[in-house]
Amino acid sequence: MKPQKDPENFERKYLFDFADFTDARVLEIGCGDGRLTWKYAPASSLTVGLDPDFDELRLARADYEVSRRDRPSDLRGRVHFARASAYHIPLPKETFDIALLSWSL
Amino acid sequence: MEHASMVHALREIHRTLKPNGILLDMRPIEDNWAVEVKSDARVDVAGRLVDIPSGLADTAACFEALRDVEARGWFVQERAEKFTFFYYWDMPSEMKAYIETEWDSYEKLEDEVYQRASSLWASANAEARVRVHRKMWLARWRKTN
Repeated sequence: MKPQKDPENFERKYLFDFADFTDARVLEIGCGDGRLTWKYAPASSLTVGLDPDFDELRLARADYEVSRRDRPSDLRGRVHFARASAYHIPLPKETFDIALLSWSL
Repeated sequence: MEHASMVHALREIHRTLKPNGILLDMRPIEDNWAVEVKSDARVDVAGRLVDIPSGLADTAACFEALRDVEARGWFVQERAEKFTFFYYWDMPSEMKAYIETEWDSYEKLEDEVYQRASSLWASANAEARVRVHRKMWLARWRKTN
């Protein structure tokens, strides 16, 4: 059985204390199943999550579909997931305000 | 990932960041994390996990790569702190199974600690859960050029 992770939400508290995600363009490296992504993405203007693991990305996208149904105006077109690693980021230069190494590198 | 690959990855991240953009590095820090039994009224420490050398080496390699890119003038560290991140399971057996399958390359749960956690959990109230008290590292780096 999977554990419950960080129910106290310390991770989110520290993230928002370290950076202002409001209307920021955010690149997350190693987003996995998107567990962390959903903690800041609603505040951002654009979030791109990258991960090399297809299975994890499927979970992230599944959560995205649920979130989009619940809050369509909040998230439509603002959150994207793609299969890639930090070794080659298939995105243009000088695009993001924040890059987040999420338990990765 | 080898050191050169890590530095290359950080160069890629640097490329995609706007001028003065922020890099946040968040990762677990191996520190023989405590195994605890948590109930409403109290927290009992059953013991600690044992860090496996390969996990420690991976963490050290990441920090070395970040120091390297700072020396190259790509980023400058502005702030860093440790914080707590708890994993909770309803039963000790679930915790044991998870650690053995998901953390097998960097943490070990010794049988003595597992037995103590099981004993503490069995004698606690019905709402008691087991948890691992994990330490996390969060650092903010600023793109400098």
